[in-house]
Amino acid sequence: MQDFDVVVIGSGPGGYVSAIRSAQLGFKVAIVEKYAVMGGTCLNVGCIPSKALLDSSEHYYNAVHSFQEHGIDIAKPKVNLGQMIKRKAGVVSNLNAGISYLMKKNKITTFHGLGSFDSAKTVKVTKEDGSSEVISAKNIIIATGSKPTILPFIPVDKERIITSTEALKMTEIPKHLIVIGAGVIGAELGSVYARLGSKVSFVEFADSMIPTMDKTMGKELQKSIAKMGADFYLSHKVTSAAVKGKEVTVKAQDSAGKEVEIKGDYCLVCIGRRPYTDGLNLAAAGLTADERGRIAVDEHSLQTSVPGIYAIGDVVRGAMLAHKAEEEGTFVAEVIAGQKPHINYNLIPGVVYTWPEVAAVGKTEQELKAAGIAYKEGSFPFKALGRAIASMDVDGLCKVLADANTDEILGVHIIGARAADMIAEAVVAMEFRASAEDVARMSHAHPTYTEAMKEACLAATAKRAIHA
Amino acid sequence: MAIEMKVPAVGESITEVTVATWNKKEGDHVKLDEVLCELESDKATFELPAEAEGVLHIVAKEGDVLPIGAIICTIEAGGATASVKVADAAPAAAVAAPAPVAAPAPAAGPTTVLEVKVPAVGESITEVTVSVWNKKTGDSVSLDEVLCELESDKATFELPAESAGVLEIVAESGTVVPIGGILAKITVGGSVSAAAPAPAVAPSAPASSGDANYAAGHPSPAAAKILDEKGISAASVAGSGVGGRITKEDAVSAVKPASAPSPAASAPVAPAALAGGTRREKMSSLRKTVARRLVAVKNETAMLTTFNEVDMKPVMDLRGKYKDKFKEKHGVGLGFMSFFTKAVCVALKEFPSVNAKIDGDEIVFHDYCDISIAVSAPKGLVVPVIRSAENLSLAGIESEVVRLAGKARENKLSLEEMSGGTFTITNGGVFGSMLSTPIINAPQVAILGMHNIVERPVVVDGQIVVRPIMYLALSYDHRIIDGRESVSFLVRLKQLLEDPARLLLDI
Repeated sequence: MQDFDVVVIGSGPGGYVSAIRSAQLGFKVAIVEKYAVMGGTCLNVGCIPSKALLDSSEHYYNAVHSFQEHGIDIAKPKVNLGQMIKRKAGVVSNLNAGISYLMKKNKITTFHGLGSFDSAKTVKVTKEDGSSEVISAKNIIIATGSKPTILPFIPVDKERIITSTEALKMTEIPKHLIVIGAGVIGAELGSVYARLGSKVSFVEFADSMIPTMDKTMGKELQKSIAKMGADFYLSHKVTSAAVKGKEVTVKAQDSAGKEVEIKGDYCLVCIGRRPYTDGLNLAAAGLTADERGRIAVDEHSLQTSVPGIYAIGDVVRGAMLAHKAEEEGTFVAEVIAGQKPHINYNLIPGVVYTWPEVAAVGKTEQELKAAGIAYKEGSFPFKALGRAIASMDVDGLCKVLADANTDEILGVHIIGARAADMIAEAVVAMEFRASAEDVARMSHAHPTYTEAMKEACLAATAKRAIHA
Repeated sequence: MAIEMKVPAVGESITEVTVATWNKKEGDHVKLDEVLCELESDKATFELPAEAEGVLHIVAKEGDVLPIGAIICTIEAGGATASVKVADAAPAAAVAAPAPVAAPAPAAGPTTVLEVKVPAVGESITEVTVSVWNKKTGDSVSLDEVLCELESDKATFELPAESAGVLEIVAESGTVVPIGGILAKITVGGSVSAAAPAPAVAPSAPASSGDANYAAGHPSPAAAKILDEKGISAASVAGSGVGGRITKEDAVSAVKPASAPSPAASAPVAPAALAGGTRREKMSSLRKTVARRLVAVKNETAMLTTFNEVDMKPVMDLRGKYKDKFKEKHGVGLGFMSFFTKAVCVALKEFPSVNAKIDGDEIVFHDYCDISIAVSAPKGLVVPVIRSAENLSLAGIESEVVRLAGKARENKLSLEEMSGGTFTITNGGVFGSMLSTPIINAPQVAILGMHNIVERPVVVDGQIVVRPIMYLALSYDHRIIDGRESVSFLVRLKQLLEDPARLLLDI
């Protein structure tokens, strides 16, 4: 039986980062992956492929709507969906190979097969051909991620009623795509097909898009997506979905109990994701999942109730984000090595890859109100920004929330072009507990989108934005 | 009513302990007998249970070294938890809590009175004389400021303040005070620390931005990790970054505030910057004690080493033949350790001076063989003892070795299990040592070094044959063991091991 210091189950962004960090710290490491390719949800059916399609659809949308204004005359562009999907697949396989290379480079042993607990110290790897092998480890890291949640009254057939996984490999552009759930994933994939010309209807139980984020963000995002001709059924509860031939019918009730019926040719279900521990045989290790399928961990070490077994990423509490899993992957490897790393969960940024993008870190205005913290708010619209006007990307704003007494930045919420890249500045500032005036006094290159952050900080510190 | 929890006396020779980990946080409500923290002495780790139920106030931080009798924490018993809150909200609107019954103290802030006691300064020192006070009653003293000079029969040393506060002298100059006796009291907190938020006091560091110094003492992400790993709280580090933030460099150069008195006037402050690939680490209590003892043995004994070699074939053959049956019957593997321990016991009986110790002008002989076994534990070298090994069977010895080594690896050995050995066996062979000169485990007078077994050409009955050979080393104190005894002891050991039937027949 092969013996390792660390065995990681799952090769998503949490798992493979944890494996590399463990190897860097001198451990003998193995990684177990169920699928033939490395990278998990994020790389294969999540962040990376959706971003690839988002960018392709954005190029198309610009070609149709803004090239003429830019002074570029071309024949009416056509979508070649097959090529788009093929390019996306190329991006994914390029990065798959990258991770395999990193495993080799760091001398990490890769096992392809379903990893399951054989005991608290051994993992059984069942390969595709049915054969199996048991490996032992001093430390085991569970990084098995999550799967889309499915509601019992919505019969997902993966043909007409689909999840995010199928939405990334469509063979035709839907005429009318009904998106159940206007959270992050629904907003992203809905906006891809809206830009490719689909009519998109969002059905959402909450009263806004991306309801967990600052309310201003949901409102602004809805305005932007509405411009592409999308319909919104907010505060609507889906009661049924049915397929008949090529037609999908979704029924929903509004808050007053009035029923609506929406007919389309595809229905995308994006109501959330659940921790994925199927087939892991937690019982053999003496572990159980909680009522929401999560594995309980100690806050200071991410160790489960069984010594030597750790869990990270989507299978544990907290936001289901690739970069949160990566931080936890590094964290656990360092904990095993006896170091004392930290994660500031309040400062893990949340990002939505629509266009305009949405990104946020820290507290929302609603959270500050609920906690009774006195705050100041400063906003700056992209339409007043030289760079945004020059690039014709004027939708959006940057909103900074600062402590009313100390001026410390407590939350930053950005919707607009490149918001996802801009949020890093806010994370750095907040890790060092910068005040709004601190950031306002730092030079920001002109003309850039990041000037919106500086101006919003000026507005937050003393209502003195220069360009507003 | 606050109860002071002090470092208990845990063993005769233990004078100080290190606070390893706190299981509870400042302000936690603790129950009677709940484990508060782990303390580490140079010999063992033990847990400190709460002496009362109440709210915990931590005095000694993780990593602090405390003398026996020093205050680790206080427990505020009873339901007066509300009063704790008042402390940091002093200038704010009065909290609705009723005034503490009959509390004459001004509401300036929390004050605690710290007793300054005579630290344990050396094993044989039982009392000190206060030679001179550098401070007067009523003086404000700062942390680590020298309060007074103390004289023992061996040395003079300075006593630094364990905390900032106002001094009240109890033992005047010239007074003789026993170890642990009270020298003075320091009133900590009160008006001094409460003055901080008052706007009238101009902060000496210019606030570079923002309105207030809310971020002073906030460590950067890298600094936070480094400080945690060093066991230093951010509160004890002065930040040099903007607005008093703690930078990575601050964390790298931070040193733990030493609370133990040191005879040296003042230790050099942290090196300005660590250039190149060096790393500094504080020695653990265990390491320090091991270091001190080893040097002492080298200096205070007349130690030398004698060698011999053993043909291990007979023992290996015997073991090869019976090890499965042995395991089956006794549930423990048959190793070499039991043969060596058994043979050592027989030889010790025949050469009692090897099994003796020196006490002043007398030699103490033992009529039993308590064999110390050197084990490499995670925190360093420990030597648990196999009691009365001469009465144990081979299986009995093996299972003792397994039990003690297991406990050693988990740092679970008690003091009792590590003291009182009469002779030590150390096996450098497990790490591949061919030959070594072990150092005696004082106050014992001899130690046997085992080494690796290597196939060597040897001459048997005029023929060169290949045999598994182990070199043996016996380091001994020449003050009471002569060459005849030490050499004969080793030769006897060789005889017994090369013909193990002798062990059975006692010949």
